Amino acid sequence: MTPPAPPRPASIRRALLLWLLLPLVGLVPLAAALLYAITVRPALDSLDRSLGGTAVALAHLLADDGGRVALTLSEQTAAALRTDLYDSVYFVVGDPQGRVLAGDADLAALEATRLRLAVGEWRRFDADLHGTAVRVVAYGAACGVPVASCLVLVAESGGKRGEAERQVFVGAMLAMLGVAAVLAALGYVAVARGLRPLRRLGDEIEQLSFENLQPARAADAPGEVLPLVEALNRLLARLRAASQAQQAFIADAAHQLRTPLTALHTESELALLEPHPPEVDATLRRLHRGSARAARLANQLLALARAESATQGKPAARLDLQQVCADTAQDWLAPALAAGQDLGFELQPAWVMGHAFLLRELIGNLLHNANEYAGRSTRVTVRVFRSGDRSVLEIEDNGPGIAPAERERVWGRFQRGTDSAGAGSGLGLAIVQDIARSHAARVELRDNPAGAGLVVRVDFPAVDAPD
Amino acid sequence: MQILLVEDDADLAESTARALRSQGWHVDGTARGEPVPLSVQQDPYDLLILDVGLAGIDGFETLRRVRAAGSRLPVLMLTARDAVEDRVRGLESGADDYLVKPFALAELVARARALVRRSRASDGDVMTLGLIRLDLDAKLAFLNDAPMALSAREWTVLQYLALRLGKVVAKAQIVGLLPQWDESNSGNAVEVLMSRLRAKLEPGGVRIRTVRGLGYLLEETPAS
Repeated sequence: MTPPAPPRPASIRRALLLWLLLPLVGLVPLAAALLYAITVRPALDSLDRSLGGTAVALAHLLADDGGRVALTLSEQTAAALRTDLYDSVYFVVGDPQGRVLAGDADLAALEATRLRLAVGEWRRFDADLHGTAVRVVAYGAACGVPVASCLVLVAESGGKRGEAERQVFVGAMLAMLGVAAVLAALGYVAVARGLRPLRRLGDEIEQLSFENLQPARAADAPGEVLPLVEALNRLLARLRAASQAQQAFIADAAHQLRTPLTALHTESELALLEPHPPEVDATLRRLHRGSARAARLANQLLALARAESATQGKPAARLDLQQVCADTAQDWLAPALAAGQDLGFELQPAWVMGHAFLLRELIGNLLHNANEYAGRSTRVTVRVFRSGDRSVLEIEDNGPGIAPAERERVWGRFQRGTDSAGAGSGLGLAIVQDIARSHAARVELRDNPAGAGLVVRVDFPAVDAPD
Repeated sequence: MQILLVEDDADLAESTARALRSQGWHVDGTARGEPVPLSVQQDPYDLLILDVGLAGIDGFETLRRVRAAGSRLPVLMLTARDAVEDRVRGLESGADDYLVKPFALAELVARARALVRRSRASDGDVMTLGLIRLDLDAKLAFLNDAPMALSAREWTVLQYLALRLGKVVAKAQIVGLLPQWDESNSGNAVEVLMSRLRAKLEPGGVRIRTVRGLGYLLEETPAS
């Protein structure tokens, strides 16, 4: 069974387009019908008038023939009157008594010939002539002495009328469809333009991170979006303040912890150095190791808080990783020598944009890990070089390494490798990750290509050396 | 050896002082920086250990005043790791070395001893490394009071390393000491020189450690 599709989120754009375009679907046929109705009538009327012309022409042929009304219609005239490009024309002329004087027998058979019209009266109607729809014009023509009304009927098949209706219909439809198309296009563009500030705001918010909570630019926001931007900026300001307060708290707590921990560390070391009963020796050693770990943890918490706040304050500087390493190498050397490790450096120029103290913290943490986990008599190498558009830092050791399955887990805060015996707090790699992220760098754990061991590779976007 | 320790945390000051005293050194302590410039004028201290974070004027300002008063007393700064550019500022304002908190007492003692020796040596005195005695005036080295056979170059390098006891000296610095050397094969030549010197120092309990890619480090091998 497939899971039900998630409901589509409400969309202003869709709603606006729906409200703008849906009415067009109903309104366009309606307007077209109206337009058709208005324009088709005059067209049909003019056709009726021209049919009326034929009736009048016939009426002129009526003459008084000694008290009787007669129609003097030659064959040629009759043919001329019937001539039409599109339609069949029929006529019939009757005398005042209703007798048919001349004309088509079919038409004469119609009920309409019994019409009695006043002189000069017109009638127009549709009729059926052997299954053919015809338009009939009836005219009461003046005839005879004294003047009486002779009925003149002229009929015409529906060709021209049908054509006229069709043309008017198509014209009306095309006109309204054109209008609808233009309206739809304008509506679409207007909605897109109108919603652009919202999308821009969205893009801007997309750029925000916990380290970078810059207020959104309200200057070019339209009036309707402004309250949203302002509310958002107030929220961001509160978030910034909260984040700073949190960092300040962590920094303060770590700072307060550090001095007593350093004292504890020194005291326990002193106790170990001085003569002491052998039964407390193990306790003292554990105390000493514990205090070292706690002091380191305090330092790391402080570094973490600083890593998260530093990027907001000071701008990054152009730095050579080679120089950063060379500057601090001496600090890293003592613990490595104490752990019986061979710490070496392979340094080439590799420029990055960054914060020197954070980079030192990053390298220090990686070296501390190597120091703790690689074990005695191992070789640890700090390598810095430029590779294409990346500046690469590698800390390589030939210790036991980290199993590939473990590597993902190793990144979590306070997470330690399953079979690790070292004294690391587990914060180290989290700090490394945080600092790397704030420098747009990637951190990767790799196998040592030379065999056993681990390579931690941090690669930064390279920048050119300053002139 | 007389040491002035400036540290404002009472517990830390106490344990640090005890560690230094356990070496047989005399330690005076103070929690504030203000009286320090006067103290170092009045009493013949061999070393000033100065915490950066002090109440009142901080370690940098204290150091500045000490140096402004004309004292060349060796100064070891104690600094927090995160105190951004403490290290650089400390060295710029005239500190001779620095130590990052929390430190191992052995490290503190080693640094303190190296600093005092370096300062005595640069005064043109005699310096003792393990079983080796360097007479810096006469440019002579003695192993168990017997003169050592060192070439002029070996002596130059040994003196340079000794005056930087406990610090890494870059290979380029060594090459720079010996300007008459041909640039192209100087790297190899330094290695040859170092291995000869290393062999001569070994019996005296002094070791030249090679730090790969960085340089050389002179250290005393722990007495066995």
